[in-house]
Amino acid sequence: MGVVREVRFLVGGPQGSGLETAAQVLTVAYAMEGYRVYSTREYFSNIKGRHSYINVRVSHRQAWAPREEPHVIAAIDAETVLTHFREAAPGTVIVYDTAASKVGPDRVPSMEREEKARVKETLSRAGYPASVEGAVRYAEAELGARPLPLDYQALLRSLAGELGIPATRARRFLNTIPLAAIASLTGLELDALRAGFERRFRGRQGVVEGNMKLAEIVYDTVASAGLRGALKLEPPPEGPSEYFIVSGNDVVAMGKVAGGLRLQTYYPITPAADESFTLEAHENLEADGESLGGVVVFQTEDEIAAISAAIGGALAGARAATATSGPGFDLMVEALGWAGINEVPVVVTLYQRGGPSTGMPTRGSQQDLAAALFSGHGEFPRIVLSSGDHEEAFYDAIKAMNWAERYQTPVIHVLDKFLANSIVTLPPPSLEGVKIDRGLLAANPGPDYRRFDKSGGPISPRAFVGQEGVVMWYTGDEHDEYGHIDEDPVNRLRMHEARMRKLELAAEEIPEEGERAILYGDGGDFLLVGWGSVKGAALEALETLRGEGLRGAYLHLRVFEPFPSGYVSEVLSSYPPGRVIAVEASYNAMAARLVAQHTGRRIERFILKWTGRPIYVGELARAVTRIVEGGSVREVLTYGA
Amino acid sequence: MVLRMDYRTDVWVDWCPGCGDYGILTALQKALAELGLKPWEVAIVSGIGCSGKTPHFIYANGVHTLHGRAIPFATGLKLARPDLKVIIDGGDGDLLGIGAGHFVALGRRNLDVTVLIHDNQVYGLTKGQASPTLPAGVKTKALPKPNLQDAVNPIALAVASGYTFVARAYAMDVNHLKELIKLAVNHKGSAVIDILQPCVTYNDLYTTEWYRRRVYKLDSEPGWDPVVRDPSEREEKASRALEKAREWGDRVPVGIFYWDQTREPFEERLARRIPSYLDSPPALQPIERGGAPVVDAERLKRIFSGYLVRRRR
Repeated sequence: MGVVREVRFLVGGPQGSGLETAAQVLTVAYAMEGYRVYSTREYFSNIKGRHSYINVRVSHRQAWAPREEPHVIAAIDAETVLTHFREAAPGTVIVYDTAASKVGPDRVPSMEREEKARVKETLSRAGYPASVEGAVRYAEAELGARPLPLDYQALLRSLAGELGIPATRARRFLNTIPLAAIASLTGLELDALRAGFERRFRGRQGVVEGNMKLAEIVYDTVASAGLRGALKLEPPPEGPSEYFIVSGNDVVAMGKVAGGLRLQTYYPITPAADESFTLEAHENLEADGESLGGVVVFQTEDEIAAISAAIGGALAGARAATATSGPGFDLMVEALGWAGINEVPVVVTLYQRGGPSTGMPTRGSQQDLAAALFSGHGEFPRIVLSSGDHEEAFYDAIKAMNWAERYQTPVIHVLDKFLANSIVTLPPPSLEGVKIDRGLLAANPGPDYRRFDKSGGPISPRAFVGQEGVVMWYTGDEHDEYGHIDEDPVNRLRMHEARMRKLELAAEEIPEEGERAILYGDGGDFLLVGWGSVKGAALEALETLRGEGLRGAYLHLRVFEPFPSGYVSEVLSSYPPGRVIAVEASYNAMAARLVAQHTGRRIERFILKWTGRPIYVGELARAVTRIVEGGSVREVLTYGA
Repeated sequence: MVLRMDYRTDVWVDWCPGCGDYGILTALQKALAELGLKPWEVAIVSGIGCSGKTPHFIYANGVHTLHGRAIPFATGLKLARPDLKVIIDGGDGDLLGIGAGHFVALGRRNLDVTVLIHDNQVYGLTKGQASPTLPAGVKTKALPKPNLQDAVNPIALAVASGYTFVARAYAMDVNHLKELIKLAVNHKGSAVIDILQPCVTYNDLYTTEWYRRRVYKLDSEPGWDPVVRDPSEREEKASRALEKAREWGDRVPVGIFYWDQTREPFEERLARRIPSYLDSPPALQPIERGGAPVVDAERLKRIFSGYLVRRRR
C-alpha cells in the first residue's frame, strides 16, 4: 500500500445525521495539516431522513471539481452503501455498519424507486443478494473494493462504557465513526483530528472529548483490521500558512463586504440563502475592536420586495444587492427593468439550480443564463458576469458592484449550486490593487440638479436621494433629464439611446481577453468552451487528457454582456469546427448559442449534463475522447447518484 | 428649476378636474411646509396609477415605482437612510390589491414611514375597474356588471398587520387631512392614512355628495381615545379600533382609529443589533479610502476569522 498525494472520500447518510459536521471537522483537520481540501455536497429538498452525501478530495493542490473513484466510501446507513457501491474502484475501502448487512433496497423507504430497481437489477444480474452485504461483496469481487465492516453499535457501546453514559446518549456521536475511519485510513494523527474537533466544537470540551474517545476506539479497530494508514497521504508541500475554509456562498459574502456592500436584501431560497446568513452573522464589521460600520441584511416578504428594497437602498447611495435563485429571479424581473430605465446600480447574485419551476431545488444547473440576459420587457442595459470558482467569485462580487456604479445599471452575477455548496481551502484573498469605483458623481449639485443629464455623455453625474441641497425624481416611465414623465419622441430617442450606449461604453472599457474570457492553454487538438463551475472540471480533464496524449485548451467565458465577441471569435477561428466542444450543465448549451449569436461561429460538438449533479473530471475527459477520437458529436454526462 | 420651499413643481398636474387627488396633494404639500422639512429630507415614493404621479408634483425627492411595490422601494430607501422622512403614496388597488403582501409586511416591521392610501374604490387609469375597496354587489357606471368581490377593510387590515398609527381622512377636507399627515409623519413607526376620495370620472356611487352627508370626525365622539400609552392597553384599543372600522354606511368615521406610541420602530430594533446603524447607516458609511476598500485584506481576515485556519505544521 503506497503513499498517495490525494485521497478522495465519499461520506453518506441521512440528511440531518451530522454529515456536514463530520466533513467540516475533517476539512479543518486536513487544512491545518497543510493539505488542500475540496468538498461538494449532494442532498434532497428535505430536512431529515433523505440520502445526502459529500464528496471530499484531500490533496497537495486545490481541486475544484469532483472526481470519480473514491478511495473511501464511508456509510452512516444502509442507503449509502446501496446507492454508492457501484462507484467503488480497485482498492476503494467501504466502511459500513455490519448491523445493516441484511438491509436491502426494499427496507429503505427513502430510496427512490428507480434507484431501488437499478440496484436490485445490478446485484441480481451478477448473482448477489439485494442487500448491503450483497452490495459490498459485489464491490469487492467485481470492482476490487476492500470492505471495512464495523459494528457501529458495539463501538458506541464501548464509548458509552468509557464515558459512563447511557448507550442512547452515545448515539449522537454516530457520525464520528465514518469520520474517524477515514481519518485513520489516511493516517491522520489523532492530535490533528483533535484540532478539527476543537475548532468545530469550540468551548464545548465535553463534546470534543467524547468525539476523541470514539475516534480512538475507531482508530484501534481500523488498526486491527490492518488498514490504519492504508491510504496514507504524502506530507503536504510548503504552502500558504493560512486558509479560509469557505463555500461559494461564503466567499461571495466576503467579496461583498470588501467591495462595500452595506445593504443586502433577500427572501429565503436554496441555494442562495446561506450567503445572506453569512452576511448577517457578520453584520457588525468589527476588526479587533475597531468598528467599520455594519451591513444591514434584510429578509423581505418575497423576492419582488427584495430587489425593490435593494433598489431603494441604491438610490440613497448604499451599495446594495440581493441574492436569489431561478424562481426568485423570475419574480424580480419587473423591478430589474425599473432599475434599468432609472439607471440604478443594483446587483443581483443569481445562484442557478435545477429548473424549470421548482425543478430540483437542491441540485445544480446552468440553465438560467438566458433568463439572466434576456428576462424583462423592453430594452435596457445590464451587465452579466459569471464566476468559475471561489477565487473568481470573491473578486467578481466586488467587480459587480463597481461595474453597477460605473455604468449605473443592474449587474447580474451568475453562480450555481455546485459552486455555492462546495467548500475549498482558499488562501486569504489579496486586495492589493482592488479599487472601489463609485462611478461618476455629481460635483456640488444644486437645486437645478438633473439626475438624467445626458449633456456630458451617456452616464449622468449621480447624486443620492437624501443628499443635502438637492432633490431628484425617478420614474419607471420614460422621463426627461429631471426624472419627470416625458413621452416626447425626441426625448425618447435621446434617453433610450443614452442608456443603451452605456453598454457600448462598458464594452470599450472592459478588456475582452483575460477579463471577459480567459483561454487556458492554447493550440492542441481541441478547444473546450465553457463557463461557471465547468472551469474546474475542464482544466483538470485537460491535464488528464494530456497524460493520455491528447492536447487541448479551455476557453472560459466570464462576461456574457457585454459579450467578448472579437476575442471569442479569434480563439474559435484557430480550431476546426469539429474540434470545438461546448461543455455546459444544461440541455440547450446556452453559452454556445450566445457564441453563435455574437460571433457567427456555430459550435457543433457538445458535452452536456442536466442530472443536477456536478460534472466529474473523469466523465468529462472520457466524453472529450469520444468526440475527438471517436467522432461523437454530443455526449450526455450522467455520473453521480 | 429653483429651490421651492412650498413643495410645488412646474409639472402640469394632469388629474381630472374635481379629483380627490388634488386635495391629497395640497394637504401633503402644506403638511411638509408646516413641518419645516427641507425638500431633500423627504422622499415621496409612489406606485402606479393616478396617485403614482404625485411625486412629480412635489418639490422633494420623488420615486415613482412599480405597481404595488412602493412600500418595498421605500423600505430600502429608509433602511439605507433612516433619517429621511419617507412617505408612500399609493392607490387602493396598488396597496391593498397587487401590493397587499407588502402592506401587511410593513405593519409587522413598524418601520418609521407613512403610507397614504388614495382610496376611491376604482382603478382609474385603466378606466374604472373595481378596486379591492369597492363593496360587492355594487355597479359603478364604468363596470359592465356588478362587482362580485367583497371589499377589504383598510383600517382593520392595518390594525391587524401591526401599524402603530392608523387613521382615515376625507380628501376634500384638506385641513383635517393635513393635520393627520403631520401627526403620521412625526409618529415613530409605520403610519397609515386611508384617504377616502371621489373618482369623478368612474365612480358615480361614492361621490362628494355621498361623503358629505356621512363623514364625521372621531374626535367629536365623546370619550374616543385611540392612543396606546402603555403596552397593556394595546388589545383593548385595537379591539375598539377594529369595531369602529366596521362602521360604514349612514355614518363614516374619519380621524385616528389607533395610535400605539409604545411599540419599537424597526430602525431601533436594528440599532440594537448593529450599534453603529443610526449614526452610520448603509448609505452614509465610507466604503473606500483613496479608492481602496475600507475593509482591506487584513480586516477582512479579522471580520471572517471564524473561517480562517492556520497550518499547524
